[in-house]
Amino acid sequence: MHFQAAASWSGYVAGPPRAVVVAADPVERIQRLASENAVVIFSISTCCMCHAIKRLFCGMGVNPTVHELDEDPRGKDLERALMRLLGGTSVVPVVFIGGKLVGTMDRVMACHINGTLVPLLKEAGALWL
Amino acid sequence: MASQRIGETGLSESGPSSHHVPYGVLHGINTPPSGLMNQGSAFDFGELEEAIVLQGIKITNDEAKASLFAGRPSATLEMFPSWPMRFHQTSRGGSSKSGGESTDSGSGVNTLSSKTELQFETESPISIKASSSDHHQAFDQQQQQEQETATDASRKGTSQNQSAAKSSHEKRKGAGSTSEKQLDAKALRRLAQNREAARKSRLRKKAYVQQLESSRLKLTHLEQDLQRARSQGLFMGCGGAGGNISSGAAMFDMEYARWLEDEQRNMAELRAGLQAALSDGELRVIVDGYLSHYDEIFRLKGVAAKTDVFHLINGMWTSPAERCFLWIGGFKPSELITMLIQQLDLLAEQQIMAIYGLRQSSLQAEEALTQGLEQLRDSLVDTIAGGSIGIASGDGVQQMMAAMGKLVSFEGFVSQADNLRQQTLHQLCRLLTVRQAARCFLVIGEYYGRLRALSSLWASRPRDTLITDDNSCQTTTELQMVHPSQNHFSTF
Repeated sequence: MHFQAAASWSGYVAGPPRAVVVAADPVERIQRLASENAVVIFSISTCCMCHAIKRLFCGMGVNPTVHELDEDPRGKDLERALMRLLGGTSVVPVVFIGGKLVGTMDRVMACHINGTLVPLLKEAGALWL
Repeated sequence: MASQRIGETGLSESGPSSHHVPYGVLHGINTPPSGLMNQGSAFDFGELEEAIVLQGIKITNDEAKASLFAGRPSATLEMFPSWPMRFHQTSRGGSSKSGGESTDSGSGVNTLSSKTELQFETESPISIKASSSDHHQAFDQQQQQEQETATDASRKGTSQNQSAAKSSHEKRKGAGSTSEKQLDAKALRRLAQNREAARKSRLRKKAYVQQLESSRLKLTHLEQDLQRARSQGLFMGCGGAGGNISSGAAMFDMEYARWLEDEQRNMAELRAGLQAALSDGELRVIVDGYLSHYDEIFRLKGVAAKTDVFHLINGMWTSPAERCFLWIGGFKPSELITMLIQQLDLLAEQQIMAIYGLRQSSLQAEEALTQGLEQLRDSLVDTIAGGSIGIASGDGVQQMMAAMGKLVSFEGFVSQADNLRQQTLHQLCRLLTVRQAARCFLVIGEYYGRLRALSSLWASRPRDTLITDDNSCQTTTELQMVHPSQNHFSTF
């Protein structure tokens, strides 16, 4: 019993308690996080453009899930992964709707103007009429 | 009379070149001494005149010309300005055509006059003493002149030498008087000095004329520049004043000016295309051309934002009236759509709904960007003021560095705002038929053209202190310019 207990404990690494993570790969983590909610925004708390995009969604009546990368212990990795995903200099804000990548502020605004953003939101269940 | 004439001409000739003429006037000036008195010279011409009269000098027309040039060589005389200020006072009393030879050029007169001037200041009553001028040849007076002091010389010369027929300076004509011999040495010296003075005079005159010429050229250039700038009507009070404009900003301003010329061309094409009732395909080409034209300015602004984002944000590149409506470095898309909804007609209901929807989306995006920019500004204020500002806590270098990092974000906002403007224009085009889109772009172009014209009109409006003919003419012209375009609006 005791032996079994010891054996069962040996699988755990000593250290600060943290959630069991299946995949440490940042890209996978991003994808996982993106699928958890209808609208997911990766942001940096001090970035003003991120503030703008948050206000855009709130103004439309959408309640996005925001992940502040500077407040995440592994935020740097996520940032690098996002940069690889998107290219370009400014990596945040990045928006996922319904688990699918929409893009940065550029794309989001273009989608909104050409009328494709709202249907996307409705489809993801973030907007009701 | 004669003396008065002299006085008048003297007064009228202030320039160096004029001296040739007046002496002609001095012909036959048989003025009585009293005329001289009227000149108000410092000394008493009367005595001189008396002496002259006593001498029995006869003044002839021919002599008159030659006279007055008695260059009185004197060291002090060369200091004088070449153009006599009180030419008239020499009044050569008319009579004083110095028999003196004329110098090589009219500038000889100058020398004479200047010398004369000096005489006024310093002379004691004229005494006909030996004057230094002995190029007044063949006159009894010459002898007297020689006796005069150097300062007296020119005056004497003038007074006494009228009769000097002398035509050539070098000649010593003398009537064969014994004084001639005496004159030789001095005469030569004086001749030389006179020539020297005359030469200097000529050089000064030449320099002055050149200066005048170059100033005149400069003036015409300035006027041309002013005309050009005013006709553009765009850069009134632009950042160029004071030379604070950066090179990136200056380059953008130039490209914007060229873009505006393109704009005129595109507008002309649109107008012509609509009036000529081209086919849809052909119109489509023109409309697409107009869209690319706008894409181009957004691209240029993107480049400029990297070098000088403040120039774009403060709108110094636009006209004042446009600047009044500036939103993050350009026009506000929702305002443009509001204007268009009023001006465009013949729209299907579906189209009207779609355009209202476009305006709504644009408003939401604009609001988001505005709030983001607000946060950037607040954060910038905190950064710059950050830490105990005002208290002796260092030079704020740290704050400066931090603020510099934040300034980069402005570029992002201008970029997003331009992106919004570009997307709005493209979407408008998609919502309309080709013909409607052509009319729509014509309205947009005319509208901003009117804003620019308004800026010019306003800048050149007649004001109490600045009313000139130019201003009112320009106003009239610009009013005429604005008027024809109204017809186009009415077709919509």
